[in-house]
Amino acid sequence: MKAVFLDGIVLGLQMGLLGVGLTLIYGLGGVLNLSHGQFAVLGAIVMARVLQHGASLWMAVPLGLLAAAAVAVLSDLTIMQPVYRLRGEARVLLGLLLMLGVGTIIDGYLEWKYPIEALNIRISGDPISIIGVPMRVGSLVASAIALAAGAALFVFLRYTTFGRATRSIIEDEEGARLCGINPALVRTLIFGLSGALAGLVAVSRAMTSPVISTAGVELTILALIVAVVGGLGSVSGAFVAGVLLGIVNTVSAFYIGTYITTIVLLAAAALTIVFRPAGILGRRA
Amino acid sequence: MAESAAMGSQSASGAATPHSPAAADPEALLRVESLSSGYLGEDVVLDVNLTVAAGEAVAVIGSNGAGKTTLLKTICGLIPTTAGETRFGSRRLTGLGAHRVARLGVAFVPAERHLFNTMSVEENLALGAYPHRPDPETLDSVFELFPRLGERRGQHAGTMSGGEQQMLAVGRALMSRPRLLILDEPTTGLAPVLASEAYATLGRLRGEGLTVLVAEQHVPLALSLADRAYVLDHGRVDLEGSSAELADNPEVRRAYLGIS
Amino acid sequence: MSGISTQSTSASRALELFGAYSPIALTAALLALVPLRYSDSRTMMTVIIIGMVFAAYTIAFNIILGSTGQLFLCTGALAGIGGFTSAILTSKHGWPFIPSIVLGTLLASAIGGLLSWVAVRRSLDAIFTGVVTLAFSLSYENLVLGRKDLTGGENGLRVKAAADTILTTRVAPYYVFLGLVVVYLVLYRLIERSHVGWAFRSLRDDEVAAELSGVNVTRYRVYAGLIGSAMLGLAGALFAHNREFIAPTTFAFGAVDVRVLVMLVFGGIGSMLGPVIGAVALTIVDEALVDFAQLRIMLYGIVIVVLFLGFRRGVVPSVAALRERLTHLGRRSTPAAVKPPGSTPRS
Ligand SMILES: Nc1ncnc2c1ncn2[C@@H]1O[C@H](COP(=O)(O)OP(=O)(O)OP(=O)(O)O)[C@@H](O)[C@H]1O
Ligand SMILES: [Mg+2]
Repeated sequence: MKAVFLDGIVLGLQMGLLGVGLTLIYGLGGVLNLSHGQFAVLGAIVMARVLQHGASLWMAVPLGLLAAAAVAVLSDLTIMQPVYRLRGEARVLLGLLLMLGVGTIIDGYLEWKYPIEALNIRISGDPISIIGVPMRVGSLVASAIALAAGAALFVFLRYTTFGRATRSIIEDEEGARLCGINPALVRTLIFGLSGALAGLVAVSRAMTSPVISTAGVELTILALIVAVVGGLGSVSGAFVAGVLLGIVNTVSAFYIGTYITTIVLLAAAALTIVFRPAGILGRRA
Repeated sequence: MAESAAMGSQSASGAATPHSPAAADPEALLRVESLSSGYLGEDVVLDVNLTVAAGEAVAVIGSNGAGKTTLLKTICGLIPTTAGETRFGSRRLTGLGAHRVARLGVAFVPAERHLFNTMSVEENLALGAYPHRPDPETLDSVFELFPRLGERRGQHAGTMSGGEQQMLAVGRALMSRPRLLILDEPTTGLAPVLASEAYATLGRLRGEGLTVLVAEQHVPLALSLADRAYVLDHGRVDLEGSSAELADNPEVRRAYLGIS
Repeated sequence: MSGISTQSTSASRALELFGAYSPIALTAALLALVPLRYSDSRTMMTVIIIGMVFAAYTIAFNIILGSTGQLFLCTGALAGIGGFTSAILTSKHGWPFIPSIVLGTLLASAIGGLLSWVAVRRSLDAIFTGVVTLAFSLSYENLVLGRKDLTGGENGLRVKAAADTILTTRVAPYYVFLGLVVVYLVLYRLIERSHVGWAFRSLRDDEVAAELSGVNVTRYRVYAGLIGSAMLGLAGALFAHNREFIAPTTFAFGAVDVRVLVMLVFGGIGSMLGPVIGAVALTIVDEALVDFAQLRIMLYGIVIVVLFLGFRRGVVPSVAALRERLTHLGRRSTPAAVKPPGSTPRS
């Protein structure tokens, strides 16, 4: 049982990081990025290709993150521009439909060019015992990466000028503009950051199980569920929700079967929407 | 609309002059020339000329829906200009985004305040100084002006009272050390005592040399602060003059001061 | 209406009915001719049968998205619920054909209604609808893959209940699905002309105003979810029996949802005939590009982006707007997206 729980935390940290990237973009501009998981997979496939050419991990990972970030920035600078000109429901709907299109393009491209490619990062070493449970080194490194990224993000958002500016736009865009903050620039940069975070999720995941080229839709959906349960736009909420849902996921997989986990996650999202639409940390019940 | 403006001009007596296109004051810090703007293709601010000299306090008064807010937001770049232009010193503001106007030294305190509700007082103030780190001296002077903010620096903006939020909004605007402070109805939602206090504070800032442009429905308060004022009616400048002149103007007395 | 005699009222009513339903008859007549050309080729018959199935899916999707603005990203999953339910009941539990289809339809309907109910009672419902329906799509897929004992997992499932019926002949199934499309179109128009359709339109045009004028927005959205999902489930179940074999890919997100979305947007969201036109057009395009099948998904993605960036109204409303502009030159036309051709004016 303890082992299941720890595995849940390992998975949960990855899910949290996945949700954070999605929630940031939503908070900044009302765009629900339906290609978030595809950005992650794109990064993973770039890394896999670079690794196959004999490059080291230290070379492959930055290139993969850069690729994911670049596609994200490109999406923001091109097809998201008409979206930002709209307001309210129209913005939300057009934004998510266009990103669905982008995700489909990436999916189609990967399926065409790299149908059986996968990123697999093996980290050697003897299992290390955590509260009496032997944990694989890969799982521990994966968790450390997710935790470090989460902590770095926290420090960035709370203590740096640019991070504060980012939060201020999520809070009140007009107020932010009056403070001299350029929302368009911040959105573009955070879109890139979100893409890189997606790539990092792929890295961390590849240490525990292979990231295959068709995993995009699934990762996107996991990110969506985490972001909704955490409260759209809430960074800390997404992290907490990620860890909780990761545990829920592994526990239900252990007792019922893997096929049930998405249904359980769907139920969690549905219950959140019905009873706490602002998310588990949200103030409004 | 044109009719009422004309009527206003005719009935303007005393020393207050009917509005005439910018008596182009080369010294003016802010110069608004033949400005028009509005919403969805319909202009609600029409051909407005207005200047604010450095060190001056100027008020824009007018009834509900006259276009005061629209005028100020257009100056600040929140609403696009449809005709005319705005200059700040030697810089052209028209066409710049709101964030660029802010960085040039024009701080705007909107009536709705637009504070960052889930952030602390301190963080709100820090953001006022964006893109720089908050300057400790400026921060001290804000806390000196509003000791209340200093006592509550850790509190979330959203949980503060209306009066405190107003202080925070002004404080945040001051953090950028602006050359021009623009306020839209700073007394919105404040009890009369607090409203007077707010104006006393503005008077103090003015005394320290800050240039102020304020839109206000509470005309006596506005005229007590301002050197000069503009009366806006249906989007047009109806009258302009020194505060004393306007306070004596029968039209203004009847319409805005409730004295016949 | 009060000043007009009953006779002319009934005459104008007949004319109005003719105007409302004749486009459906005309479409049906045209589509009925298609097999004349392809009846010798089993491959081509399969292609056009699938085209009809997708027309049915898209009409159903149009009731949900076009009429009430709910972005259901689970059309494939709902059709799959109908298909797999009926297939499992007949092949594993010995149920007869018709009851199994009825149950599949009802189950899809119940799930669709529930998803609708969860998402639409909140502001941001576009987001929540997208999230719960996508999550449902993934749940469905994992369920199908995971419960190999029932679904056969990746290997798929033989469906033999309709083996000796017309559903598995070469040409007749086309007419069965054409019949289904006609029934769906008539249903669409009936709804459009009823008070439910009036409520749909008012809530789509201005949700707040609709709410204020007493339309129970939630209830009507859930109705649309129930009806549209039932239509998806029924079409999916019939398709399963026609194919005699289903696998996870038969109703996969990439195979169904993306195509249906493209068909609807291309034809015109919220227009009656748009889905049919979109389905026909996409079927032709797919067939023309059959040698580039691996590129298909990517092309769909590009089409989604391009359509939503530049051609959001779709074919039918654009043609209607053009016609309106030509006939009412100089007069101001109403946005065609709100008023599909042949729709009755609001009373
Ligand atoms: N967002 C908007 N969209 C459309 N019209 C607007 C909008 N905001 C204001 N208006 C219209 O513009 C006109 C001027 O409004 P404005 O808010 O500038 O007046 P005001 O002088 O500030 O009034 P008040 O004293 O009530 O604040 C009004 O007729 C108003 O209806
Ligand atoms: Mg105002």
